[in-house]
Order: sequence, then C-alpha cells, then structure tokens
Amino acid sequence: MKKEDVTRREFLSKLGVGTAAATLGAAAGVGVGVARAEEKPKGNIPNKPFRIGHMTFFTGPGAVLGEPMYKGNLLAADEINAQGGLLGKRKIEILKADEAAGTDANTKEMRRLKLSEKIDMFMGITSSGNTPALGPVAEELRLLTIFIDGCTDFLFDKAVPNPRYIFRITNIQSADGATCGLAVAANWPDVKRVAHIHPDYAYGRNAFDHFKIVAKKLMPKVQHVSEGWPKLFSTDFAAHITKAIASKPDMLMTSLWGGDYVSFYKQALRYGLFSKMRVATTLALGVAPHAIGKDHPEGVLTGVHANYHFSYPAGDRWPLNKTFVEKYHAKFGEYPNFQAEGAYTATHMLRQAIERANKLAGGWPDDDAIIGQLEGAMMAGPGGYVYIRPDNHQGYKDAITGFSKNVPEYPFPILDPARIITIPIRNITAPPGWPKGEPTSTYTWIDQTWPAVKA
Amino acid sequence: MDFLAIHILNALLYASVLFLIAGGLSLIYGVMRIVNLAHGNLYALGAFVTAGAVGHFFPETQSRLVFLLLPAGAIATAAAGAILEPTLLRPFYKRAEEYQLLVTFGLLMILEDLMRFLWGPYPLSASSVFEQLGSFTVGSAIYPTYNLLVIAVGGVAALFLWGFIYKTKFGVMLRATSQNMRTASALGVNVNRVYIQAFTIGCFMAGLGGAIVVPSQSAVLGMGVDALVLAFIVVVIGGLGSLEGALVGALIVGVFREIGVTVFAEIELAVLYLIAVIVLLVRPAGLFGRAT
Repeated sequence: MKKEDVTRREFLSKLGVGTAAATLGAAAGVGVGVARAEEKPKGNIPNKPFRIGHMTFFTGPGAVLGEPMYKGNLLAADEINAQGGLLGKRKIEILKADEAAGTDANTKEMRRLKLSEKIDMFMGITSSGNTPALGPVAEELRLLTIFIDGCTDFLFDKAVPNPRYIFRITNIQSADGATCGLAVAANWPDVKRVAHIHPDYAYGRNAFDHFKIVAKKLMPKVQHVSEGWPKLFSTDFAAHITKAIASKPDMLMTSLWGGDYVSFYKQALRYGLFSKMRVATTLALGVAPHAIGKDHPEGVLTGVHANYHFSYPAGDRWPLNKTFVEKYHAKFGEYPNFQAEGAYTATHMLRQAIERANKLAGGWPDDDAIIGQLEGAMMAGPGGYVYIRPDNHQGYKDAITGFSKNVPEYPFPILDPARIITIPIRNITAPPGWPKGEPTSTYTWIDQTWPAVKA
Repeated sequence: MDFLAIHILNALLYASVLFLIAGGLSLIYGVMRIVNLAHGNLYALGAFVTAGAVGHFFPETQSRLVFLLLPAGAIATAAAGAILEPTLLRPFYKRAEEYQLLVTFGLLMILEDLMRFLWGPYPLSASSVFEQLGSFTVGSAIYPTYNLLVIAVGGVAALFLWGFIYKTKFGVMLRATSQNMRTASALGVNVNRVYIQAFTIGCFMAGLGGAIVVPSQSAVLGMGVDALVLAFIVVVIGGLGSLEGALVGALIVGVFREIGVTVFAEIELAVLYLIAVIVLLVRPAGLFGRAT
C-alpha cells in the first residue's frame, strides 16, 4: 500500500464530499414527468397495451420496500397513460408478481410472465439474492429488464458481467457503506473505536466491508471493537446492544433497516446506547421515512441507501422532486422512499428511450433500439441526475446521506436540510474497465488507488 | 460485572417471551397431538392487535391507561383460537399428520396476509408503553424497566399454568385427555370442550407473548415465522408436549443465545441449532419428552 503525503481534509475535498444545503442548479430540460410539449411520434404506433411485469415483495417483511417500489412504477405509469400511453398510443399495463415466493419460484414466474403473459418488459426486484438469479434468466429470455434494486455489486461484477437486456437503476450496493464511511471521516474524524451491528446477509456484509476499507484509508487509527450479526428480520437486539455498549466504542455503525431498525433504535434508546456513542447508519431513513418516530435521536448519521430522501433536493430548487413528492403523497397518503423514486425514474427513463428511438427510426422501436437509447442515458429524476453506464448497464447517481433532525412540518425525522452530505458517485465506485475484484470491484479499487491519509 | 447482570436479564427476557410462545405450542401438541404451524402468526397477531390498538387510541400519550391495552392482543388471539379450533382444525384430527401440517401451514400464510391487509406493510410500534417506564441503572449500565415486566409476565404465566394443570379439576381432565383421549371420553370428559379450551389457552399465551413484547420491539410482517422456528428449537430441546420442557428449553435457548451473540457473533443462530442437535443425540425425545 503506497503512502501518500495527503491529509484527510485534502483527500475528502478531492473526492468532493460536500456538506451543503444548496448545491444544485436549476432542473434540466429533460426530466421525468410528461408535462412538456409532446412531439408527435413518427410512423405507425400500434395501440396494444405495453405490459410490464413488476415483481417485488408484496407480502412478508420485504413488503416494506416492495410496496413503495410498486407505487413508484404505478405513479409514473398513470402519468404516462394520462397522456395516451407510450408514444401517445400504448397504455402501460402492470402485472404484479410476488418476490416473496422465493428465488426458484421467481425465476419460473419470470419465464411464465414472458412466455405466457407476453410481457414487453420486466421491472422490480428488491432482494440482492434475486437479481443474480433473475439476471441470467432475463438475458436468456431476451427480456428487456430494469431492476429497481437488488443492488448487489455481484450482479454486474460476476453474475452477468456483459449485460445486454438487463439494467439496474438504484445505486450499487458498495456505494452505501463507502458513503457512510466518508460521512463519518468528514464529520467525526476523531472516532477511534467502532462497534458494528449488521444484519447477517449479503447487504450487511457489504456495508461492513466497504465501511472498513474507507475507514482504513481515511481514519487509519480506527479500531473495530465489536461485531454483532443478528439475523435479517429480527426484532430483539438486547444482546447485540449490550455487547456493543460493553465494548466501549465511541461510535456504532449499523446497516439494520426497516422493522429491524425500528426495533433496534427503540431498544437502544432505553439501553442508553445513543447517549454513550455516536451512531452511523446506512439505511435508517431510507426504507419507510414515516416509520421512524420523533423519539429517534437527532444528529444520528441516518443513511438513505446512498440514494434518495424525499426531503432533498428541498423546496422549489428541484421542481422534479417537489412535484413527485406532492403527487405521490396525494395518491398514496405517504412519502416516497428510494425504491419509489427508483421505479418512478426507471419508468420515465423507459419512456424517454422509446421516444428517442422513435424519433430516429419511426414506428414502435424494437428492443435493440430501446436498449441503444438506455445505454448511456442520462436523465434528471426526482433525486437528481441518473446516468446509465453503457458498459455495465448500472444506474449511477450522486450518493447522499445526512443527519436526523425533527422539524415541525413532518411527524417523523428527516435529513437535516442544513447538513446534507452529497458525494459524486464516480468518486466512490470502480470506474469502467476496472478488473473484477473480491469482495467487490469497488473494494479493490478503493484499496489499491486511494491513499492512506496522515491521521 | 454490571454487564453480566444485564446479559442475564437479557437472557431471561428472551426466555420469557419464548416460553409464552413455545409453552402454548407444546400445550396444544400435548393435548391435541397436532403440530400447529400457525402458532407463530398467532403470536404475531397478538403483537399487531396490541400495537394497532395503542397506535389507534394512544398515538402519542403519556397516559398510564395505555397499559390497559396491553392484554388486547392476547384476548384477540384467544378469541381467534376459540373460533379456529372447532371450525378449521377439528375436522382434521382423524386424518394423517400431513393434512394437519398443510392446514396449519396454510393458516400461517393466511394470517400473515390478513395482517398485511389490515395493518399494511410498515412496522407498527407501541413504544409509548415501553418509554413510560424508563430505564434503571445497574452500575455503569442501563436497563429498560419495562423488560422486567415482560420477565415477570413470563414467570407468572408459567406459575399460573402449572397451578392450572396440576391443581385444578380442569387440569386433571386436560391431562387425562392428553394421555388417552378415548378413555377420558368414555369416563365422561367432554373431549371437544377440553380441546377448544386447551387451544384457546395456547393461543392466549402466544398472543400474550406478542402483546407483551411489541412495546419494546415493533410489529413486523414475518415476525411470526421467525418466532415459530425459535419455538420449535425450544420444544425440541425441552420435549414436545411438555410444559416443564418448554420452560427449561426457553431458559436454555435464552442463555445460549445471549452467549452466542456475545462470544460467537458470527454464528449466533447456529449456536441454537447446535444445542438442539446435541439434545436430540443424547435424548431424542427432548429433555422432558415422553418417548413414544
């Protein structure tokens, strides 16, 4: 490992880790939403419905993520259908499928949707266990697919290294742990002893690995003093909390999410954990923003999967977000999470690709033409610009995290608007062409190319 | 040393809730000889009913009246049990075990979807109950006072059940039915009534477990399946159909889980299965099980 003569502050500023309340300019002309003047599509467009198979968790504990994903897809489809459908002719029809059926059943269902239901494209997926199984099937079926989540690096690192038909919209998983690590390095550089509590599955391991590699580079003195690996979807964390407190850390890092995180923080409060250490999370406010109560402490580094929180960009600065949140809230009576934003953006990105392909050749574009337009596509979504890298079909948008804060406008905590942390995504993910690595390409890229700072 | 005390209290807390779940499961098996796979979601139902009631009537309150809502989950679950046993389960007692497993597993899934339908996919909390009692200190460590209540409820439930089964006339009928249903019936015991009562008590315990635990955790989909698996570990260790076994099994699981989390973080779940394997090797019917 080469030692470079660089301080933490210098390197963080090189990475563009910014704490900023106002970093964004005006919205670009091309964005989600269909309000802009429509050009008349070229050529003959059939008027048969465009069928999307949407598979996500509709039952079980994963529904906390699946439900908003489906709702985001639904909202975008409603907007497009209100304008007559895709290219003004083809109304979007969504067929639901339950991801909770299990990986094996899910691959069968994907085949059935394509072969029997004749879906035009496939969308959805929450679990990182499912995208690596479904990706190869979609390729084999030549089924145009946009995964919303299931964000494991493994999908495009290993399972489908040269994708043709599959895309993924939300940020790659490694960005989450890395974002958390950078936010800690930038805000709490004095942290020395870190305890960990992570759900014992791929996501928890990934967050742990990437936090650690960033800490190794930017906070070389950090010791990892205890580990807790509760099963995913647990509700009792008494033992893990006691163990973490007993190891006398000055910070706890956790990637618990959903109901797990709600149970965890309620118990941690009564065990006095928050008063004994700082707490950094990757997904605390990301899953169901309204499920966290105002009893949640302020000033906790509350992650949103390095993707999106409905409160940012705030106000009128980014009208795409304002209208999205308003429409979503009006329709469903709740606030959108990163899955909702991802599915909403993905649906509009599909629309954009179809419109562009039509402009080039006229008529209804075939899948190859749509894929050509999705590769390298850039679009302004509610959360900011999303870019689809042509080489690996992965969506990239700048990572975001922040600190919990109670404000009078909402009955739950949001990200402190004055202390939002954004990081340019290219600075925390392995670039195109970087060799595949273990545990992830991003991990080896950070390990081999980032300098270890001087204290 | 302070933390040792906390670890012991944590273990008792875990054991207490597990006993409520596994005790009900074991009681039902002991009397009716059915393995009720739906039991896990009856526990979850207790949690959802209490959390739903607290959230509905006392969303943000400091009122002590909220404690009156705690038993709501147990009562609702007992009522569900009193309806389910005669309508859904009774027709299957004379069938092969596979049918009972299919029916109760189906019920497990129906209950899960019912809860999803009634309360939505997001976690529900009833933490105002948990918060009201605050925390107390043990040396340099802090412990939630509410957890003592949970431990006490588990203990009282065990005592109450013991008294009920070994010291009352109903208990005699229950044990008689459990040992030999036909003879008990011939001697004039109304077996159907015993069944419905035993099933209702078992459900009440599961519901009570859910209701009492939800203020310190949250009601989430999937919690029932998780609890069912743990309850099976308890009854495998203690012996299916034995209440003493459920109590001892729950204590063993509580203690070893605490040790597992603290010392063998990487394999905390495997520790429990290992114990079950060891017990099965040494005593295949469980510590208190009757070999048949």
